Amino acid sequence: MTITEPKPSYKYVGTRLVRPDGLEKVTGRARFAADLNIAGQLHAVVVRSPHAHARIVSIDTSAAEAMPGVKSVITGDDFPAVDSSHRQYDMCVNVIARDKVFYEGHAVAAVAAATLKQAQAAAAAVKVDYEVLPAVLTIDEALADNAPVLHSHMLTRGAEPPAEAASNVAAVTRFSGGNIEAGFAEADIVIEREFSTKPVHQGYIEPHACVADTGQDGYATIWCSSQGHFNVRSSTATLLGWETTRIKVMPAEIGGGFGGKTTIYLEPLAVALSSQAGRPVKMVMTRSEVFRATGPSPSTKIRVKLGAKKDGTLIAGDAYLVYSNGAYAGAGGMLGAMTVFESYNIANFGVEALDVVMNTARSAAYRAPAAPLTAFATETVLDEIAEKLGIEAMELRLKNAVTEGDLSTMGFPLARIGFVECLEAIRSHPHFNAPLAPNQGRGLAAGYWFNIGESSSATVNLNEDGTATVVTGSPDIGGSRASMALMAAEELGIDPHDIRPVVGDTEAVGFTDVTEGSRATFATGMAVVQACRNMVVELRGRAAKMMEVEVDDINWVDGHAVYVGNGDSASGSSGDSAAKESLSLAAIARKAKRTGGPLTATGSLEAHGAGPAFAVHLCDVEVDPGTGVVRIVRYTAAQDAGTAIHPSYVEGQIQGGVAQGVGWALNEEYIYAPDGVMENPGFLDYRVPVASDLPMIDAVIVEVPNPAHPYGVRGVGEAGIVPPIPAVANAIHSATGCRIRDLPMSPVRVLEAITAGGASANGS
Amino acid sequence: MSRVHVTCTINGDPVEFLCDGGQTLLDALRDEVGLTGAKEGCGTGDCGTCSVVMDGRLLCSCLVLAAEAEGSIVSTVEGMADGDDLHPLQQCFLEGAALQCGICTPGFLIAAKALLDRNPDPTETEVRYGLAGNLCRCTGYDKIVRSVMDAAKKINAGTGDHH
Amino acid sequence: MTVRVHLSSNLRGPTDGIADIKGSGTTVGALIDDLDHQYPGLGDTLRSGVSVVIDGLLIAHPQYHQLNDGVQVFFVPQSAGG
Ligand code: FES
Ligand code: FES
Repeated sequence: MTITEPKPSYKYVGTRLVRPDGLEKVTGRARFAADLNIAGQLHAVVVRSPHAHARIVSIDTSAAEAMPGVKSVITGDDFPAVDSSHRQYDMCVNVIARDKVFYEGHAVAAVAAATLKQAQAAAAAVKVDYEVLPAVLTIDEALADNAPVLHSHMLTRGAEPPAEAASNVAAVTRFSGGNIEAGFAEADIVIEREFSTKPVHQGYIEPHACVADTGQDGYATIWCSSQGHFNVRSSTATLLGWETTRIKVMPAEIGGGFGGKTTIYLEPLAVALSSQAGRPVKMVMTRSEVFRATGPSPSTKIRVKLGAKKDGTLIAGDAYLVYSNGAYAGAGGMLGAMTVFESYNIANFGVEALDVVMNTARSAAYRAPAAPLTAFATETVLDEIAEKLGIEAMELRLKNAVTEGDLSTMGFPLARIGFVECLEAIRSHPHFNAPLAPNQGRGLAAGYWFNIGESSSATVNLNEDGTATVVTGSPDIGGSRASMALMAAEELGIDPHDIRPVVGDTEAVGFTDVTEGSRATFATGMAVVQACRNMVVELRGRAAKMMEVEVDDINWVDGHAVYVGNGDSASGSSGDSAAKESLSLAAIARKAKRTGGPLTATGSLEAHGAGPAFAVHLCDVEVDPGTGVVRIVRYTAAQDAGTAIHPSYVEGQIQGGVAQGVGWALNEEYIYAPDGVMENPGFLDYRVPVASDLPMIDAVIVEVPNPAHPYGVRGVGEAGIVPPIPAVANAIHSATGCRIRDLPMSPVRVLEAITAGGASANGS
Repeated sequence: MSRVHVTCTINGDPVEFLCDGGQTLLDALRDEVGLTGAKEGCGTGDCGTCSVVMDGRLLCSCLVLAAEAEGSIVSTVEGMADGDDLHPLQQCFLEGAALQCGICTPGFLIAAKALLDRNPDPTETEVRYGLAGNLCRCTGYDKIVRSVMDAAKKINAGTGDHH
Repeated sequence: MTVRVHLSSNLRGPTDGIADIKGSGTTVGALIDDLDHQYPGLGDTLRSGVSVVIDGLLIAHPQYHQLNDGVQVFFVPQSAGG
């Protein structure tokens, strides 16, 4: 571990606590959403569109309703109409189609019956009459002059002059700085390359699932697997046209999300079915449904042009990004524009990004959404510049890397960041100069992600025996409960094993935004710290009462109220003298009834100052020249965590990001038939990395504390997926001399490139 | 439709249940027997979250008919610990942070136990190939592989031996 | 109080490309009202989907955020995450 800034020494923060929820998980007893069963529950399935683009002429549910065991059938007509100007229009009509379907797998109806088999049979009996429309399946088709327009209300946001006619371009985003023509004119070398990528899936191993139960009183309870149960509540309420208070959401354990469970798919259907049937309703997606109807990443076409001086100084950059977000507007292009040049000082730059729609599943966030693809472009073009100028890839990056005070693409000076420290951590790692065997190559790449703050709440309850319960509203997706316990232990000064961190339901704790944007340990951690600090204020007051001294004369030290006055007022008549000098948290908790009642404190905040995270990866590959198969033989990943609250789970986030990035680089892609039907909706044909595809992944934690967080946390969940694609691509080039600019870099493509003698698959 | 009556041994206990002819062992374990430790990640034999051992063979319970379990001996993750004593694999997974979301954990534990029963002292490569039927999307496998190797050491040293 | 304002390059339509401007207000919301008077339409641009950076702190919902003398307010597009 590289520690680059002096930081306070902590007693618990930074230790490797066995996670509090671990025992339930290794014994198979943890309850994930699909593990829940409620007496009387029905099973429901969704009827999905077989067409990529069609108008729904009519839906006849009568035959389905008449089938054995069927208790309710719903369609889009069972939900309030939603206008295209509504802020959550896309989410609403994605959950259940209204007049049109926009991709194969789009939900058009749902059926609940006594058994799953009955529900499946009835779903097959729902008759939907479609008028099939021409489908738009590629970015080029979406942008073509005569392209069928998916949404007649879609006017391009950000267009100059303002758009007057609907198109498939949802938004255009432009950034610029300096003088781009002058910049390129000054450059000694200019390299421009084009890239293309396909949609990939987050690939969480747990399919979406929920159980919903609407009571006689019209109030519903939902148990589900989600990255944000408060968001499930508000989104479900929006779809149903209900008040938020009518819905309570209980967070089940969540089996992975990576951004894909930040939105909702099933819950409003389950509530509507349950309301109609007067019974609880359980819904579990199949893997095929997960692939066809839930959140792939965007697909892209990217063009990046960089100009540099002979000494390697980057002087001009131009990027044109097109992100397809699937069936509805999304922010991929905008996020791409915000990340494409963010890691480097480039005085003169221009970025134009389009967000387009087409007839594929609506994309959802996937770990540092958009950034891995801009990094693919920028970091491989940089590599080429380094090669052509004869400068080491590392030196080129160090020369141009942003540091504190440098301007972001968005124009503001960056706060303290740890990019250079990550580069140096890799440069000084033994991997950096290790020898390579024949057919092996080494690739370096960097990546950046903003991280975000948002709203979080926490409640700390001290129990009679001096233990504490810490309730937060953040679903724990990768060990965050352990981090909450460690931060609370540090603040309260008690052993983390005496702290029970739990995720509260929507009625048990204050509003908390989705676990996304690497924010749980950052923002919810801040709420926990705030709650604990409020608790300490209360504890000092209680101790002052017990010691009969002024509260200002009490400090909180290592889990104890310690008297630090001059002793005059501490000479009261009750208690022994030891108690006047120091009272433990447990001693104060025991007497809570007599000193003012239960000890409970809350923290609720909108977290400001999310700290940007940088990652630098070094990857060795071995390429089989006969087959084009690429094997990852060594991988080292450095990342600035700010402060690693729980190093094991920081390493885990980095390693997991690397594995996903490697899958994205080498294997993963959505394959569509000409009619827009997904051809590989299963793990057999959509191949994610398995243990034998990867080596150990050496995670190097760099700690440059985020000044805005009480413990310096930056958030680590996302940045680790940004560098792997270009790191692998640069390594393949180093091994073979071939630059591949289309994903995935599958054996066929690599072999083609090798056979073509070093030319890229897109002809340069 | 008439239901099939199955008698078998699960985690050492005699168990009887009724199932449909076409029902998978996975569904029967989860829905008829009430053991939800085995998960359904795919239902097609491609993810390993449903791993169980039946008559000494590691298999995907989503690919086996429940009726085939008649007379067999089945082990699931719920039977790995001996009362409060965790199996060394479980202990090492906990200490080694080999789980993040934990949905894949039961399958990995069962597959890893089957591997160590077969090969008590595997190399890293053997562990990686031995677990290649199980998908984990969270960990990048690093800590899983290390934990399995740690558990093997522990078992071989006799410090964690109980099965 | 008057503060310096920097608009990220995608937000400069209403200012005809000018990046650095001045405005007054005790909160970011009041500042935006003032900027809208100076540059009609800029209010709409800055009121939704826009964050600010002040003293190095990214603030996602800044409407009521108090402004101190001498600060510079950077308006930037809102980010997201997975
Ligand atoms: S559920 Fe059986 S292998 Fe995936
Ligand atoms: S820990 Fe989440 S899939 Fe393995």
